[in-house]
Amino acid sequence: MKEEMNTPSKSPATVLGSEDSFRLLVESAKDYAIIMLDLSGHVASWNAGAERIKGYRAEEIIGKHFSCFYPAEALQRGLPEQELKAAAKDGRFEDEGWRVRKDGQQFWANVIVSALRDKDGTLRGFSKVTRDLTERKQAEVQIQQQSKEIMELSTPVMQVWQGVVVAPLIGSLDSNRTQQFMERLLGRIVETNSPVALVDIMGVPTIDTQTAQHLVETISAVRLLGAQVVLTGVRPAIAQTLVHLGIDLSGIMTRASLSAGLQVAFDILKLQVVSKDSSH
Amino acid sequence: MASESISVIKLRDLLLVTVPPDPDDETVSALQEQVLRAMAQHEAKGLVLDISTVQTLDSFFARTVAETVQMVGLMGGRTVLAGMRASVAVTSTQLGLTVGNSLTALNVDRALDLLNAAPSGSRRV
Amino acid sequence: MNENEPHQGEFRITSENDIVMARKVVRDAATTLGFGLTDVTRIVTAASELTRNIYHYAKSGVMHWRVLNSGTENGLELTFEDQGPGIPDIEKAMEPGFSTGKGLGMGLPGSKRLMDELTIESTVGKGTTVVVRKWMRK
Ligand SMILES: Nc1ncnc2c1ncn2[C@@H]1O[C@H](COP(=O)(O)OP(=O)(O)O)[C@@H](O)[C@H]1O
Ligand SMILES: [Mg+2]
Repeated sequence: MKEEMNTPSKSPATVLGSEDSFRLLVESAKDYAIIMLDLSGHVASWNAGAERIKGYRAEEIIGKHFSCFYPAEALQRGLPEQELKAAAKDGRFEDEGWRVRKDGQQFWANVIVSALRDKDGTLRGFSKVTRDLTERKQAEVQIQQQSKEIMELSTPVMQVWQGVVVAPLIGSLDSNRTQQFMERLLGRIVETNSPVALVDIMGVPTIDTQTAQHLVETISAVRLLGAQVVLTGVRPAIAQTLVHLGIDLSGIMTRASLSAGLQVAFDILKLQVVSKDSSH
Repeated sequence: MASESISVIKLRDLLLVTVPPDPDDETVSALQEQVLRAMAQHEAKGLVLDISTVQTLDSFFARTVAETVQMVGLMGGRTVLAGMRASVAVTSTQLGLTVGNSLTALNVDRALDLLNAAPSGSRRV
Repeated sequence: MNENEPHQGEFRITSENDIVMARKVVRDAATTLGFGLTDVTRIVTAASELTRNIYHYAKSGVMHWRVLNSGTENGLELTFEDQGPGIPDIEKAMEPGFSTGKGLGMGLPGSKRLMDELTIESTVGKGTTVVVRKWMRK
């Protein structure tokens, strides 16, 4: 790429010819940054939209390399060069990602890079059209966040077998969420008449004293109903934390995996069946 | 008068006692009296307390139940608390209550199974 | 909440049977306001503890209830007021298991856990006022 800097090349603007009306249109477009790059990626033309979106004025940026619009992480991946290569190869390259304004602020951009070729098909440079989609991106992020929260709130309590419910806990547990979980779990146990509840904490990243207390409370409440909790998915890190926090889990059945927990559940149910039979 | 609302049913060697939905303190105390008398009278080996309609379990009620379980135990009987509502279980736990050495069951059927079966229950609260 | 529903009320506690009656009053108020079953049970259970304290330690007193609105949330406030002996050491009384009667000593600390807020004002020889609040979870 760098060697090409010395290549004497016609400005891409001249490639487009001198259609003044078209140039006017491009220059005045406010919602699109429309710029031309020479073969090596140096800015050759700049419009009003580019100034608005990227923050540089034409005099400041023309002649500079376009990699200054990219965040460090994208530069590390060599994204600017890749974009030009892909556009040169396929004629067009489209991408969405974070870009950097002059003031250092990032914005979410939709970028289309097109190769500009002259009549002979010789590559002369690139056009680059950038749209600022930060608002849309923020909305997306918010929706993702919300649906994650909704998913977390509605931790399912599923009946997986006659007499066994499973409740996988996913994500971090605050008191409000644990309290709602406790109410739903107890409700389901009663509804489904299930003597065994498997509470799987494999998906819980960390546990603190308060959360552990809530779990212990939940387990006590389940016992009051006449059912039993088997705590499953106790990862090594969680086991360490529980012991270090001094949480008393004695009398609480725990298993490393959900399948081991299911085995316990069946043993409990079988015991009940056997004892039922032996009573007649 | 209060004790009229408590029903004590004898099933073979077991007693089934149904606790009213919202008993006053007098009724709760009378329940203990009545249960102990019936235990002695019928030489029952076990007691099922059906609390499935109970809406509020406060510390007075819980203490009386825990005491009764203990007393029945001294008389050689085992007690199963049957059918506690989910809302009541959550509340009692949060209030910090325990119901002593009582066994628990999801409903009366299971409670009867429990008493008729295993020699010593493992599900103590 | 219905516009026509009363937003506050008052109930006198003078006999043991009034504990049950107070529970009914509170259950109705909390249910009408729209609390879920478990929260209703929490509020009623706390009310049961606090009216029993009035009956046991002060013989008589009054329970007020009123609907709260913070602008964004509705809530229920219960005030238990008596002219009884008062509590000499409130901190001690709030300890789980502490009882000068033959109770479990869970009434005050338990009510604090069941409700969102609990405050006690008490003067020995003058009386005790306990205020509890529960906000509706969204
Ligand atoms: N209204 C009251 N007036 C005077 N003393 C009270 C009152 N309420 C509570 N107390 C004191 O606080 C103690 C703790 O109360 P509580 O937690 O309800 O437990 P309990 O009633 O089982 O003793 C009581 O034993 C009593 O000494
Ligand atoms: Mg009390």
